[in-house]
Amino acid sequence: MSAMRVRAITQRLLHQFRRDRRTLALLFGAPLVILGLLGYLLRGGGEVPKMGVVNIDGGPLGSIIASTLESSKTVAASSMSQADADARLRSGDLAGYVLLPPDLSVQAQQRRIITPEVHLEGSQPGLSQSIVQSVSQSFVTLASQAGGVRFTPRITFLYGGPNFDTLDYFGAAFIGLVVFFLVFVITAVAFLRERGQGTLERLMASPLRWAEIVLGYMLGFTVLALVQSAEVLAFSLLVLHVHNVGNVALIFLLEALMAIAAVNLGIFLSMFARTEFQAVQFIPLVIVPQVLLAGIIFPVSTEPGPLQVLSHVLPLTYAVEGLRNIMIKGADLTWSSLQIDVGVVLGFCVLVILAGATTLRRRIA
Amino acid sequence: MATEISAIDVDRVAKRFGKQTALDGVSLRVRRGEVYGLLGPNGAGKTTLIRSLVGLVAPEKGTVTVLGRRMPELEVLAHVGYMTQQAALYPDLSAEENVHFFGAIHGRVDGVREALELVDLWDRRKSVVSTLSGGMRTRCSLACALVHKPDLLLLDEPTVGVDPQLRVQLWDRFRKMAAGGTSILVSSHVMDEAERCDRLGLIRFGTLLAEGTVAELKAKAGVERLEDAFLKLSEVSAQ
Repeated sequence: MSAMRVRAITQRLLHQFRRDRRTLALLFGAPLVILGLLGYLLRGGGEVPKMGVVNIDGGPLGSIIASTLESSKTVAASSMSQADADARLRSGDLAGYVLLPPDLSVQAQQRRIITPEVHLEGSQPGLSQSIVQSVSQSFVTLASQAGGVRFTPRITFLYGGPNFDTLDYFGAAFIGLVVFFLVFVITAVAFLRERGQGTLERLMASPLRWAEIVLGYMLGFTVLALVQSAEVLAFSLLVLHVHNVGNVALIFLLEALMAIAAVNLGIFLSMFARTEFQAVQFIPLVIVPQVLLAGIIFPVSTEPGPLQVLSHVLPLTYAVEGLRNIMIKGADLTWSSLQIDVGVVLGFCVLVILAGATTLRRRIA
Repeated sequence: MATEISAIDVDRVAKRFGKQTALDGVSLRVRRGEVYGLLGPNGAGKTTLIRSLVGLVAPEKGTVTVLGRRMPELEVLAHVGYMTQQAALYPDLSAEENVHFFGAIHGRVDGVREALELVDLWDRRKSVVSTLSGGMRTRCSLACALVHKPDLLLLDEPTVGVDPQLRVQLWDRFRKMAAGGTSILVSSHVMDEAERCDRLGLIRFGTLLAEGTVAELKAKAGVERLEDAFLKLSEVSAQ
């Protein structure tokens, strides 16, 4: 063991990093960006789930419960008609609503039992939980006054159901994410290797056009990406039994679009890295914020306002929402919400194809 | 008419990279079927000049004409073979797959066997490039540059790191191709290679110092050895 030799290696590494400004910036900048984002996401005073209160109780109890709920800080409750509540539940505007039936007060007095109906949208377990909790909370207050009243809500789900678990919810999003992430990394590294081994120089000194290079790359990696998408999908549905009520072909279509987008994003971003090493560093900056903001873990509707705006700019948000629309809600292409999701992902594909192509052309000139 | 067109016509080409002047008004002409040697020390601008011939460098001033076509132009590159300084190959493909690929992107795959035989790699054609020796890779790289039977071959220091025996072999092939009508521009900083060229251009600090046959250059400098001629002609222009 020679201290001098060990020091030589340590010193050499530090010297190399000093020259590599980009790596340094990422090394010290990326954690702050990611942690800052996470902090803002969790503590930034996010929005609470929206719920409706339909009070058709003939007695006085309904109004008491309704006003308790409306003043609750854990949900944003507002009273409405049942037709209105149903419509807004279907459009995804409400995470749920509580129906206080006409005989609520009567039942409470005569049978000492309270049975409200809780209708949940159901596709986002976190939101459903908040609503059930808030409703229970409002009865706890009441029960302490009235005394001895039992609370047995009837819960129905628009989508999913009581057996709908976290994997069912995350599964839909992760099917898309896994493909997007892996294809992006492989493409970026392969393209940089082409530059590193000098073959890109040769390609550019040939009659190849930029569009031919991009298209060739795209098709090659798309073949791999599609096989991977099919594999991921089959594993999720057949082995993990992730909840799916939608059309498998439609899921695959959306996955394929994401794969194509990832290929071209990889080509595009590899233009900004000189080495494979630098390309790998794009992962925390490109992938992590998307994972945090695309609604994969935290529902977009409960993010702090400014972050919601950002989320709606990220293409992954639409891809994730699209996959959930299909798998959890059974959406098909006649649904306008799915049309928007697919449209945005398609638009993003076109955008990155053009971006990749123009940067490549500029490199040649 | 076609025979009168030069293979390469470089007219007062200038290029800077930041503050570094790479080319400072270089003019030269390579005739059809000629082996033209671009001679100069490291950093003289040889590679930049060759890259400008295939449109990888856009000159700030001057014009580059290749096989009668004003560069940059993609179509004409189908008739140009370019061998880069390092053996630029796909390491996970076999020698044959590499040669076939570069043939295909230039629009011709009928010369794969001929190209591999020319560089004595036909027997090793199935070998994956990463398992080949340095000299074999250089030869494979050369095969990739001439698989599409180009009219013009650009060789950027093709014999760097090549042993003397192989160097002699390669030069025999260059001469044979030139005899068959291929124009060749080869850069080098090795003087004994320069003796094998039909004409030479001496390049230094991005300027062409002198041009002519070996005999002409020696006579111009009034010395016996090419090496001395190069040194002497460099001094004259530096003054």
